[in-house]
Order: sequence, then C-alpha cells, then structure tokens
Amino acid sequence: MSGGVYGGDEVGALVFDIGSYSVRAGYAGEDCPKADFPTVIGVTVDREDGSTPMETDSDKGKQSGTTHYIDTNQLRVPRENMEVMSPLKNGMIDDWDSFQAILDHTYKMHFKSEPSLHPVLMSEASWNTRAKREKLTELMFEHYNIPAFFLCKSAVLSAFANGRSTGLVLDSGATHTTAIPVHDGYVLQQGIVKSPLAGDFMSMQCRELFQELNVELVPPYMIASKVSLSEKLLFVSFDKMIVTKVHTIYFVFFVTRIQCVRDHQQAGRKKKSCLKSHCVIQDFQASVLQVSDSPYDEQVAAQMPTVHYELPNGYNCDFGAERLKIPEGLFDPSNAKGLSGNTMLGVGHVVTTSVGMCDIDIRPGLYGSVVVTGGNTLIQGFTDRLNRELSQKTPPSMRLKLIANNTTVERRFSAWIGGSILASLGTFQQMWISKQEYEEGGKQCVDRKCP
Amino acid sequence: MASGVTVNDEVIRVFNDMKVRKSSTQDEVKKRKKAVLFCLSEDRKKIIVEEGKQILVGDIGETVDDPYACFVKLLPLNDCRYGLYDATYETKESKKEDLVFIFWAPENAPLKSKMIYASSKDAIKKKFTGIKHEWQVNGLDDIQDRTTLAEKLGGNVVISLEGKPL
Repeated sequence: MSGGVYGGDEVGALVFDIGSYSVRAGYAGEDCPKADFPTVIGVTVDREDGSTPMETDSDKGKQSGTTHYIDTNQLRVPRENMEVMSPLKNGMIDDWDSFQAILDHTYKMHFKSEPSLHPVLMSEASWNTRAKREKLTELMFEHYNIPAFFLCKSAVLSAFANGRSTGLVLDSGATHTTAIPVHDGYVLQQGIVKSPLAGDFMSMQCRELFQELNVELVPPYMIASKVSLSEKLLFVSFDKMIVTKVHTIYFVFFVTRIQCVRDHQQAGRKKKSCLKSHCVIQDFQASVLQVSDSPYDEQVAAQMPTVHYELPNGYNCDFGAERLKIPEGLFDPSNAKGLSGNTMLGVGHVVTTSVGMCDIDIRPGLYGSVVVTGGNTLIQGFTDRLNRELSQKTPPSMRLKLIANNTTVERRFSAWIGGSILASLGTFQQMWISKQEYEEGGKQCVDRKCP
Repeated sequence: MASGVTVNDEVIRVFNDMKVRKSSTQDEVKKRKKAVLFCLSEDRKKIIVEEGKQILVGDIGETVDDPYACFVKLLPLNDCRYGLYDATYETKESKKEDLVFIFWAPENAPLKSKMIYASSKDAIKKKFTGIKHEWQVNGLDDIQDRTTLAEKLGGNVVISLEGKPL
C-alpha cells in the first residue's frame, strides 16, 4: 500500500457507504466491503461509583463516562443500561458524535490504520443538505486529517455500477424506499420520491402479527434453556439475571428493528434512537415472507404452501396466508394494518410518481432503466411484483425494463462496489478534493467538486 | 460526477469529420465513416477510436449489405463501448441524415467496465457538440429492431431507414 503517497493508481483509498441498516466500508479496488456492520451504536453511561461495566474491545466515547458499543459482536451482548441509537436520521448524518464513534471504530478495528494515510470516498443520500455535506467535509479534513475526500450520491453509484448513466434508481432499504431519477450521471432533485414503506415497516407489521397471535417476542439472549415437553410444547426457562437488568430499549432493539423515536420520546428520554435487531423478526422475515405476484387475494393466499417457523421462546406455528399478507403493505398500503387513510406511497407508486415529476423527454429513458437495489428488495417475489405493477402503469409508448442483480452481494452493495471501482481509477485522482484544495477553498469546495 | 477519463483528439477529429459535410469528390465520400466505435485505452485513461471497428460509406453495397445490422454486429456482447452512427432516414416530407451517439453497456459486461464507461460518458458526450440523438443501449434486445432507432430519430414520422421501408 502506498499509504500517504497520493498519485498513481494505488492510492489506498477507502470507501464508505453508510446506510440506515449497515455501514459498508473497505478498500477501493476490492470486490466487496471489508466491513459490514449495523449502523447503530450501543451507549452506556458508567455507574457513578466509577466502576465500569466489563469491557472488551469497545470504544470509549469522548465524553467521559460513556462507552460506545459498535459492531455485531458488541451489540449482541446484552448489557445493563445500554441504549442503542443511530447516527442517521432520514438517511442523513444527524448525530455527529455517534457518527464519529462509528468512523473511529472502523479505522481502529477494521482497517487498523491511520485516517491520515488514505483518501476517503463516501456515499451520501441524494437529498443530503448543503450544510451537512460541508460539515462532513470539514470533519474529514480537520478531525481525521485525511489527504483527499470525495462525496458521491449513492443512487448515481448504483446506476453507474449497472451500466447506466440515465435511469431510475429504486432503493428499498431499512428505513425508506426511494426513487431517484438519474440523468447523465446527475440526480434530478425535483424527482426524488421517498416512502417509509420499507424493511422496518415490515418488521413492525410482523410485530403486530405476533401481538395478535399473543406471542411474546423473547430474544435468544434471555433464554437460559429449553426443554421439550411434547411435540407441540416447549418449556422455556428465562435467565432471570439478564431479564431484569437489560434496558428495555435494547430489548426492543433485539426483538425488532423499528424506528422507535416516538415511543422513546414519550418515555421522556432525550436521545433519539433507531432500534434494530438481527435476531427475532428479521430472521422471521427472511425465512417466511414473500411478495404476492398480483394484488393480495384472500383465496390465493389461503393456498400458499405453509412454512413452519419456531420462535426463540419455543412458539412454533405454520404460516400460510400471512406470508403474503404482511409484505403486501409495501405495494398496497391500503392493505396494511394501522395505516388506513394514510397517504404513503407503495413501491410501484414511488416509481411512477418520480418519473411523472421529470421532464417528459427523459421519461422513456427512466422507465427503460429501473435499477432495483437495497436489501429490502431481496424479499422473495419483490421484483416480479414490481415488474407487474409497473408494466400496467408504463405508458404504452415506452418500454419498461427492470434491472435487478441476482446476487445478494451486488444488490446490497451496488453503491459501495461502484465507489470502490471509481476510487481505484488512476484518472480519478484529479477528481478528489485534495487537502490543499480544502485548505485554500474551505469546506465550500465540496459543492463545486462533488455536485 | 465523472471518472476523470479523457478523450483522445483522434476521437474528436473523427466526430468532426462525420458531422461536417464538406463538398467532396465521389472517392472522398466513399471514405467517410458511416459508423464507428470508441473504447477505453488499455491503461483505462483515455477514450480512443477502436481499430477496425468501423463502417465506411464506400463499404455499403460492396462488403456491407445492411449498414445498421452490420453496426449492431460490431458491438461486443460482453463489454461496453461508445459509438457514432450516421443514420439516413426518410420522413413523409423529406430525406434526413442524423448522427446518433450510442452508449453500449450490455448486462454481460464486467461490472468494472460498466462503471468506468458509465462514469466517463459525460466526458465524451461533452466533446460531441451539437449531437441531437443520444441512445443508451443495454442489450441486443434494445437495438436489434430497426424501429427502435427510427423512433429515436423522429417518433413515428419516420417511414424508411437506410433506404429500407419500416
């Protein structure tokens, strides 16, 4: 690695793609990110008597007394008084302290290198604000002392990685589903459409299903042992120590992955938190759910082959119609529980609304290249249903083409991979904002160099 | 956002020769390019004219029967290219000639190639001043059918392409 020498093909650049679900980070030129961990951090405040909870390789927060727990392993350990929070809000960086904690962690634990040695290419939401972009540029140069920086819209990276300089990027992730029109490599800001119907929304629907079934969601960490009493019955004993000590917010995090800011505020707490789980509901979602080919039909759904699923607390059941009914809300919000009378847009509508807001001359180019990306689109049947809905709505004079990579890696990491290729190009070095340019032009240079 | 890849002067010269119609002799007309492909140089720093991947006006009727079909055959199935095609077509009112700029990125091309060609397209397009028609093509399905090009050129008023009725 050429380290600080910046010039020539090998610049050792780092690429960060920070989504609302996970942080993807790695070296430019590699095929997939070196690190992929949740975009949440656990925070504990040390006890007043000065004793700290046992630490392993956790990162000490800068404010005295707080400890940050980052990365899958750290987050999976239940801890007394641990809260979880996300640095992002609406896809943009909102809590800069926890954002820095995540960067510190990535440099220290994944790259094991000094920030000042590597140029950084970072992706951003297409609707990121000028103030936040400038603040990020300032942070990277002033605090991390990086030699060069570049900021790319993730939708543009995804479009490029799919061989399109013009197209509509449909990105369905954890917190939202968005349609971003890209024309000649630039985002058409007026055509951006966002909907909160995405992965977290599905988790919420699952949670309601379990509430209806009167099933208590118990995260695996609470369970001490299970004894089978009969074929249908399990006796589950709980680890009482852990049950009483673990913070409720963390408990919710483990059970589901929902935006729980509202509940949290009602509880009178100051910190915003975005809660996630990798355990209970997500596993259920991945194993059981499927998007119906056509609008939900009670009779068709009733004939769905059932899938057997057992929850950590021993509850087990065959799921049939529910498999189709829950994800139906993504495409048809009127069908979703607790959303009646809402104005949220289903996935198909997000696309058509976005195209409708663009100039009529470029619409054929957008319908002709609908790039499907984001982890939530991996749910079985998603692209088939989208294709079906859009082909009914596309004007007859235009051709519709959906581009959805078959591999999970490319669908989840397309923006990162695009950034990785771009940042590794020898010719790209003239595009970077160099430290010198930053020092001469100030943080405003990001608006000029990274439109 | 761009890749920083530059455009070779030869590419611009070829474009200008195709764009500007000088009054010329029969022989000179025959040497005019009907279609040409551009690719990335081996070091991936420049866009250059791809050698041997062209159709001359003089070839038509000699070695080439249908210039459009021949052009489609020039496109590699597993890599990206840029191209210029000088289309001749007829509407109900008049005979016309128009240059079409093509960005070819088939699904089978390597991801790296797609990324570089897509992010460099702006650089080459900027050099092609005054080009009316730009066409992003991502597979043979999009280009094989001559009517797609006809639609691109003039909506539904085009009645013939390369002398052949649609």
